[in-house]
Amino acid sequence: MSAEAFRRQLEALSAEYRGSLPGKLIEIDSLWRDLAGGMAKPDRMDDLQRELHSIAGSARTFGIAGVSEAAAAAESFLESFSKRHKLPDTAQQARFARLLDDLKRAAR
Amino acid sequence: MANRDSLIIQEHDVYLLSDKGDEELRGSETSLSPAEIELLVRVDGNLTVGEIAASCRLLKPGSAADAFRSLLGRNLVRLRPKGKVTSREFGTGLAILFDDTPSIQPTRKALTQARAEATAGASTLQKQGYYVRIARRDADKPKLPHGKTLSVVVVEDEPLLAKFLKQYLSFEGYSARIAANREEIIGEFRRPPLPDLVLLDVMLPDADGFEILLKMRQHPVLRTVPVIMLTAKATRDAVLKGLAGGADGYITKPFEPDALIKAIKAVMGLPKNPPKKNGA
Repeated sequence: MSAEAFRRQLEALSAEYRGSLPGKLIEIDSLWRDLAGGMAKPDRMDDLQRELHSIAGSARTFGIAGVSEAAAAAESFLESFSKRHKLPDTAQQARFARLLDDLKRAAR
Repeated sequence: MANRDSLIIQEHDVYLLSDKGDEELRGSETSLSPAEIELLVRVDGNLTVGEIAASCRLLKPGSAADAFRSLLGRNLVRLRPKGKVTSREFGTGLAILFDDTPSIQPTRKALTQARAEATAGASTLQKQGYYVRIARRDADKPKLPHGKTLSVVVVEDEPLLAKFLKQYLSFEGYSARIAANREEIIGEFRRPPLPDLVLLDVMLPDADGFEILLKMRQHPVLRTVPVIMLTAKATRDAVLKGLAGGADGYITKPFEPDALIKAIKAVMGLPKNPPKKNGA
């Protein structure tokens, strides 16, 4: 494979990744709303943390460093709660919601 | 709870990690001492107290019983019941590969080295904001035949990142296979050729990369396969856990592709230049 063909392949992959982000963020948002509203068990925070972790670890590689950083901040905030399977209190929930807003803004 | 000092620890006893111990190892923070971590990462439901003590470098001679007593007193380990260990007790990952009694070798990595590297990596992380890169060549690893295309198993559950890694590695001249979960990992390890290198994520949907690493290091065939942890787990404790568990390299995500290739070459003992390019 030529370097040019490889570059095009990576560009296509990056575009695919960017295209997949809105769907992932909707899932994250939906799961968080379920957790905050008591409609999902606290152990689902593991899933939420894993989703954020996955974005934090991959977005920069696809050229969107801001998304990686915002996801890492949200993941880091959630980690201690996730480990204890304990939902954040109301004030902490508001803080986490702001971190999710930052993530959504970074992904636009 | 039983008086800690009254707990009898015998050399042939075999312990399992308790849920609490598992949580302690998986967590990003720990209150355990380095010697206790070194001991705890080896507790697998298979090694005896004596075997573990012999392979731990930070344990003072004769202190294994006390250390186990301390872990037992804090409910981090539990005595393995007599009889056959079930696959569940072996935890995630490679239980199916442990049909025969594994040939246990002491871990060759010194935890002191791991600690120094983890500390250095963590300070790099703080300075640069996003990645740790540690790679080391173990002289005991098998030599690679000249001109051989290296086979790499990439354990990664983010499908597009896995695809990216496969394409990038293929472009660099490696033969890459992807595994995203426990079943696929077992499948890829069973499928020839045996990988020359494993890139191992930690947070997988149904498995933990640190546990997979430990199982690999106890497996008669896989124990010498170089492993580079490729993970977004970037705390010092996580890096320490990976290196102490026998990883040859630790790269935090998000990573720079060039840094990954450099780490692979360092771990595999390959010359830095020229890169092997497909069709180039």
